[in-house]
Amino acid sequence: MSSLSGAVETAGPISRLHGSGSFDPADFAVPGGREEEWRFTPLRRLRNLHSDAPLEAGKVGVEVSADSDITVVRSQHGDARIGTALVPSDRVSARAFAGFSEATIVTVPPGVVASRPTVVNVVGESVEHAAAGHTVVEVGANASAVVVLAYSGSATYADNVEFVVGEGASLSVVSLQDWADDSVHLSHQAALVGKDATFAHTAVSLGGSVVRVAPSVRYGGPGGNAELRGLYFADAGQHLEHRLLVDHNEANCRSRVTYKGALQGDGAHAVWIGDVLIRAAAVGTDSYEANRNLVLTDGTRVDSVPNLEILTGEVVRAGHASTSGRLEDEHLFYLMARGIGLAEARRLVIRGFFGELIGQIEVPDLADRVMTAIEAELEKGLS
Amino acid sequence: MSGTAEFVRVCAVNEVPDPGTLAVDLNGTPVVIVKSDGEIFALDEFCTHEEVSLADGEVYDHTVECWLHGSCFDVRSGKPTGPPASKPLATYQVRIEGDDVLVAAPAS
Repeated sequence: MSSLSGAVETAGPISRLHGSGSFDPADFAVPGGREEEWRFTPLRRLRNLHSDAPLEAGKVGVEVSADSDITVVRSQHGDARIGTALVPSDRVSARAFAGFSEATIVTVPPGVVASRPTVVNVVGESVEHAAAGHTVVEVGANASAVVVLAYSGSATYADNVEFVVGEGASLSVVSLQDWADDSVHLSHQAALVGKDATFAHTAVSLGGSVVRVAPSVRYGGPGGNAELRGLYFADAGQHLEHRLLVDHNEANCRSRVTYKGALQGDGAHAVWIGDVLIRAAAVGTDSYEANRNLVLTDGTRVDSVPNLEILTGEVVRAGHASTSGRLEDEHLFYLMARGIGLAEARRLVIRGFFGELIGQIEVPDLADRVMTAIEAELEKGLS
Repeated sequence: MSGTAEFVRVCAVNEVPDPGTLAVDLNGTPVVIVKSDGEIFALDEFCTHEEVSLADGEVYDHTVECWLHGSCFDVRSGKPTGPPASKPLATYQVRIEGDDVLVAAPAS
């Protein structure tokens, strides 16, 4: 009988990637680089964010520009709004949680439809001193808002961002990692998507030496819809990592994950980990995740790992896809046969590749800025 | 490496076991010192396949083998001689002065 009982599916997830987490950094051992969640990350470039670098206040400034209906407050540890959507799942996140001195809390009251995007500017001054940050975005029931997290400057920075999306609410987030070349940034961005709520998250990673963003979603009730999108352009020596987790813990929720990236130059490294967990209770789940990588030169490296853990057979869909390859000769030939030069043809194909995602950025200025930045990266690669 | 490179003392000759390795810091660049058949070589410390220190690797026949996935490199040239690594390691000029191991630091 004991062997039979061992074969019965229990409610808990099996993989250790989705452990319960902890707010105490001491619960996480200092990673050595061989752990599953760290094996792709160049730990020696993290300036000890993962071990014991002191986290100092005031090294990274946070400014918020928002509609008058939206309240923005600074708060400290102990505020009940902090730590509702996110439980740190690794040592850096736990250290950032324990180490931040001031959290920024953006609240969209119930029913309010924001007339313009809320912009949270996070600006680093120098890489010398490590810093930690915390941001909470709360969207009340049936409210609607667009939030831009714009990271720039030079920093050694670990932060946690929480999104609490109320019942029937809609939140669209763009997290723009536009750091200077020397920055190191590790960010956990966790969303709790309420009943029938819609959450869209777009991670745009362009600048920085090492950028590791971990967006995650779990649901507060049935009917939630999460769209996680991302685009990145890794240059020589850059490490851009995105680790997704969609935890389907409620029935009849939907999730889509679409990440696209391009790489050029020696030592450009992109990592995409897409974890989708469909718990036994999450019947009627509709989920799909995809990662596409364009390798533009030799000497780059892509690690793309979709993981699905499905604990119920009663799903609408649970799919994944991952591709990494160079520009297709046929696409270029098609354009060049019409008199378009090679450089322009490459540009057009890459524009099309990213266009699908850029077109979904709901802030037109930002969409233009991202497209311009990608064109500039391409220029660099062609020159 | 150019002939005018600056040589930096990184360790003593007898600090490196034979055969064996020692991880050193060369003006901020992680470098592994390898001794094989009494000869000393200096290469990039980290395997070109994954972020694994070759200082924990095994040395035999002028080869350093990564302990984790078994990538092999010729310590004389830095060239990969066994998969999964396919890219070479950078090598550095070594000079022995008395008991000291000096390595040519890359121009900063």
